[in-house]
Amino acid sequence: MAATAAAVVTRPIAPEQASLWSDAWRRLRRNRMALISAVYLTLLVVVAIVAIFKTPYSYRAVGVALPYSGPSAANWLGADILGRDVLSRLLVGAQISLIVGVGTQVLVLAVGVPIGLIAGYYKGVADSVVSFIINVFYGIPDLLVAMILLLLLGPSLNNIIIAIVATRWMDMTRLVRGQTLALREREFIEAARASGAKPLKILFGHILPNALGPIIVQATFGVPAAILFEAFLSFLGIGVQPPTPSWGSMASDGLAAIRIAPHMVLAPSIALSLTLMAFNFLGDGLRDALDPRSRR
Amino acid sequence: MANPILQVRDLRTQFATEGGIVKAVDGVSFELYPGESLGIVGESGSGKSMTALSLLRLVPEPGRVVGGQVLFRDQDLLQLTSEEIREIRGRDIAMIFQDPQSSLNPVLRTGFQVDEAMLAHGKPKNQARARTLELLKKVRIPAAESRYKDFPHQLSGGMRQRAMIAMGLANAPAILIADEPTTALDVTVQAQILELLADLNRELGTAIIMITHNMGVVAGLCTRVLVMYAGEIVEQGPVEQIFANPQHPYTWSLLKSMPRVDALRHERLRSIEGMAPDLLRPPSGCRFHPRCPFRIDKCFTNEPQLEEVGPGQRAACWVTMDRARKEMGADELKDIRPGAGSNVHPGEDR
Repeated sequence: MAATAAAVVTRPIAPEQASLWSDAWRRLRRNRMALISAVYLTLLVVVAIVAIFKTPYSYRAVGVALPYSGPSAANWLGADILGRDVLSRLLVGAQISLIVGVGTQVLVLAVGVPIGLIAGYYKGVADSVVSFIINVFYGIPDLLVAMILLLLLGPSLNNIIIAIVATRWMDMTRLVRGQTLALREREFIEAARASGAKPLKILFGHILPNALGPIIVQATFGVPAAILFEAFLSFLGIGVQPPTPSWGSMASDGLAAIRIAPHMVLAPSIALSLTLMAFNFLGDGLRDALDPRSRR
Repeated sequence: MANPILQVRDLRTQFATEGGIVKAVDGVSFELYPGESLGIVGESGSGKSMTALSLLRLVPEPGRVVGGQVLFRDQDLLQLTSEEIREIRGRDIAMIFQDPQSSLNPVLRTGFQVDEAMLAHGKPKNQARARTLELLKKVRIPAAESRYKDFPHQLSGGMRQRAMIAMGLANAPAILIADEPTTALDVTVQAQILELLADLNRELGTAIIMITHNMGVVAGLCTRVLVMYAGEIVEQGPVEQIFANPQHPYTWSLLKSMPRVDALRHERLRSIEGMAPDLLRPPSGCRFHPRCPFRIDKCFTNEPQLEEVGPGQRAACWVTMDRARKEMGADELKDIRPGAGSNVHPGEDR
């Protein structure tokens, strides 16, 4: 009630309060950390795209500098065990991280949204089956599922994405199912049914738009989780295969030489941490901005 | 009179709950004639809303229509496939709901939602858009072009209900079911909405089924009325006649408990004592007997059937108000208390 009252009071003052999305954008702009994160991530994407065409050195060129040599004017972030340029490898690693992070979430959405909608809307047998499978997947350790899949499929970038999706689809499915269960009882869904709307229209045209806020937030948090998982798999040596660099495998290589060339561990670790932090801050900001109760 | 457009025969809707079977609608039969406006009145839980939802097979889980027939244009709506009934909904029989705040999708533009009611039945997009603007004007929404683009929360309650009515009328249905459409609105807006419905009923010839607990709404809009109690129809007939000469004690009590502007100052507003019955264990005999001021012994054991009590008027009562007036002093009764009349002037051998 308080929220409605507040809305009535503020309406004449803020007439531009047009829709959920413009409202959310207005609130997001006031969140400094989320905004800085968004700028950082935009830059990261730009850099990663530029790195497709141009890096200071080739990421696989051996001996461009002395092995283990530290940062210098020619090699800003130094060189690794084979004398490869760390900066160039870091930039290509950023591509891998972003592809894995965004790619898994796209697939997670493609799997989780329709399954969650159907389970939540139709309930009954469909829901029981979906809930059972979700519980089974939650019961098996993530790492085990990913390792088995990568052993069966072979460690390519596509297969890494598939393996991560196999361990991460449940959160999204459960979220969408829960939202659907709540939304299907709302009166406007009954009104849509009474006006002869087709079931697919009700699912994707009425329920999904109302659940979009939580879904976006969940997907935003899913990106860093996937990036971290890929780094972890690569760190263990079952992720992206050499000579393609990944932030995880770069850190793993550097670990052996941490006493003589700490930059080899620090560069990928700091890049990874900053990126994970940025995604998490952005996710927090989106959650606050898309929550209609947090009217500011 | 012309042939009825809708014939409901012995409709039964039940809810299987953990405590047993709840008979929400128990053997309801009625007809609706083209262009007429039929009221269904009763307290909360009398089964009036479930009757309406059963017609379109929209009863929520775990409820189920277990028996009867709903004949519309020579087909039984209860026998159609889910795709066939979907096509009837909104195109031939439309429904508007109680709370216009929650029956519009909050994230979709108002005009677009009216469009969708037509798109669902295959109307091309540009035609739908033009008709929506026409409809918004017809339901007297000012500045229809700019309201088209507004989200529901930007409209007032009355405006939202007008938009809902526009949605209901989008496909020019033969029947419009209105489930307490004015309950959530304030009194002046209520009057405007009722007036709008009455005008549309006259102009477009859309038959209206008006579900309400408010006898005043029935008086203002309807030509015929069904009174429901505990899942059954207890009285039905033309509105003037029911208001002037109710024969079922429940109808009589409802009318007595209705506030009236023209009431004498000293006249008390009376409420019906007792509560609506638990439909898991409905009372034996006549379901109203535990609250009835004029009950007799027979009421405790035998269930009365609807019988002719006047021209076009039928009531299900062993006593009827004519007798209660003559023998039990109904007109002097101060409180609508169970057994009040029959205790003062015991009827039959009680």
